[in-house]
Amino acid sequence: MDTDDDFMSNVSSEDDMIPDDSDNDISGDDDFGFDDEPDAYIDSQKEIGHKKQAAYDISFKVFQPTDIRKQQDDLIDEVNMILDISKEEAAILLRHFRWNKEKLIEDYMDRPSKVLDAAGLSQSSAGPTKLQVIPGFVCDICCEDEPGLESFALKCGHRYCVDCYRHYLSQKIRAEGEAARIQCPAENCNLIIDARSLDLLVTSDLTERYHELLHRTYVEDKETLKWCPAPDCQNAVECAVKKKDLDKVVPTVSCLCGHRFCFGCILNDHQPAPCELVKKWLKKCADDSETANWISANTKECPKCNSTIEKNGGCNHMTCRKCKHEFCWMCMGLWSEHGTSWYNCNRFEEKSGTEARDAQAKSRVSLERYLHYYNRYANHEQSARLDKDIYHKTEKKMVQLQKESGMSWIEVQYLNSASQALQTCRQTLMWTYAFAFYLARNNLTEIFEDNQKDLEMAVEALSEMFEKPITELAAPKLKVDIMDKTAYCNRRRLILLEDTAQNLAEGRWSFNIELTGSATNGGSSTRR
Amino acid sequence: MSLCQNRLQEERKQWRKDHPFGFYARPQKNAQGVLDLKSWDCGIPGKEKTIWEGGLFKLVVTFPDEYPTKPPKCKFVPPLFHPNVYPSGTVCLSILNEEEAWKPAITIKQILLGVQDLLNDPNPESPAQAEAYNMFKRDRAQYERRIKQIVRENAAP
Repeated sequence: MDTDDDFMSNVSSEDDMIPDDSDNDISGDDDFGFDDEPDAYIDSQKEIGHKKQAAYDISFKVFQPTDIRKQQDDLIDEVNMILDISKEEAAILLRHFRWNKEKLIEDYMDRPSKVLDAAGLSQSSAGPTKLQVIPGFVCDICCEDEPGLESFALKCGHRYCVDCYRHYLSQKIRAEGEAARIQCPAENCNLIIDARSLDLLVTSDLTERYHELLHRTYVEDKETLKWCPAPDCQNAVECAVKKKDLDKVVPTVSCLCGHRFCFGCILNDHQPAPCELVKKWLKKCADDSETANWISANTKECPKCNSTIEKNGGCNHMTCRKCKHEFCWMCMGLWSEHGTSWYNCNRFEEKSGTEARDAQAKSRVSLERYLHYYNRYANHEQSARLDKDIYHKTEKKMVQLQKESGMSWIEVQYLNSASQALQTCRQTLMWTYAFAFYLARNNLTEIFEDNQKDLEMAVEALSEMFEKPITELAAPKLKVDIMDKTAYCNRRRLILLEDTAQNLAEGRWSFNIELTGSATNGGSSTRR
Repeated sequence: MSLCQNRLQEERKQWRKDHPFGFYARPQKNAQGVLDLKSWDCGIPGKEKTIWEGGLFKLVVTFPDEYPTKPPKCKFVPPLFHPNVYPSGTVCLSILNEEEAWKPAITIKQILLGVQDLLNDPNPESPAQAEAYNMFKRDRAQYERRIKQIVRENAAP
């Protein structure tokens, strides 16, 4: 640690973003994902990142389908052993308790019969259910009574023929997507059909679907688990960040499939902006609230009847077509007060016009402000959308480069890291603009904008080098430059994320809108 | 024969053998005079010792092809003044809802008894028409007067 301390005292401007909790030893650091930095460049941030948990970094774990199945099986086995009930029943109980094993065991020990009832299990100790042929049996659903009819009943004894049962189950599983809570077909009987009985009754394709649905309810029931939203990805991610903490962290996780997303809202990685701002921003950009903004910036309202008027020519003497009110377009005051100064409004200080002008100026500024942020956001979003193209382009470039300059595969990998850095940095930059749109002006915001500017300039510079023709790319000088710039971009990004995440965790940002979920921000948001 | 037809035939047999007092339920006849098992005319009497006593309300029960996997549709003809009856006359009741409490083992007898129970015991959690619901919530006395009047207009023979 000595060397580390020495080092930190040198970089005084940066030590306020070093987290205090030094007890975190970052064991699962494989997911850190920035190991493509050349060793030469590793200094402060890399060191910090590895020694301590960064504020923007949250711990999470990715589970593959087999892991998820195993987790369930382990829990079921455990309950099965402790409570001495069958595995099928243990599974039903666990699902009823949303996989809260401790609560299940506690409640079951207290009042076993009540728990069994509520979960839809029978208390009778009758042996395992099986298909039976009972003489004189009539099925209450299809009213079939031919001899030799196979029938089935859960422990409740409500017996129906196998065909009806099968039909009922396939309707529930296939059409309604129900699995964990399929009840006995009898009225008012809430007994739940267990997995073994189901296997006995239906065909294998239905069983498969049934288990898949059960499997799904496990992840959906647990607050700490979420499916990776990437197409065709079957993994789930575990993360301990709770919904109520979303105003303090931006829980970004990355799945084994490579998809990075926010655990809080399942949208793509939107660091550093918190979920609520993201939601507001997306809504603002999506709906036509900006149309209203345009109207208020480019039109005026008649001071008397409030009709919206756009002046497309002519003089300043306005007569409202609707209410015939006469006013001056420049100062919005009464025309009759203008006296002889017709066509040349110099009554700027007049009170009757000030308010109308103020309102218009304000909305014009707000529109310009929005457009400023939106244009930059959209620009980076566009680049992010072209991610795939960039990737393919890079691949092609690397092949070309190998051919033309005789470099080996490993020697051209720097292009790959550069393109990856470009993509992640642009993704972050895009959201910094949405974030900045909601920031109130203060010193913190200035620091933030400096960080943003640094990152943006670095990204643009890298982007420019990256676009150079192959012949130039092969030059050793440019290669080194690109590698340096790549590392620099990555580092600037981490600095920015660290800074925002830390301030967010400590509730130091002040926003120009009310955030509903931010109890801790209440005090600081009034500070200007 | 299909499951639906088979079951309905058996339901009819059971009903003719035994059914609760005051009720009736019979399949409609089509233009050619042939029985249509998928559409039944039913009558539900108001329960004794309630404001509904003495009334008899006509209900048309229509069975889908998927019956008994899916529930039948029950419709008062003409539409009934009741918080849980839609302006069209369709009854809103949990056991008649596929996604709620419908089970294939529920019989016509159970449905009709269920609707009879609903008459005097409306469920304010799922209102289906504004007029009856609002009156039921706001002015119980007027609601009861209105019901008694409806009972007089639909008196049991």
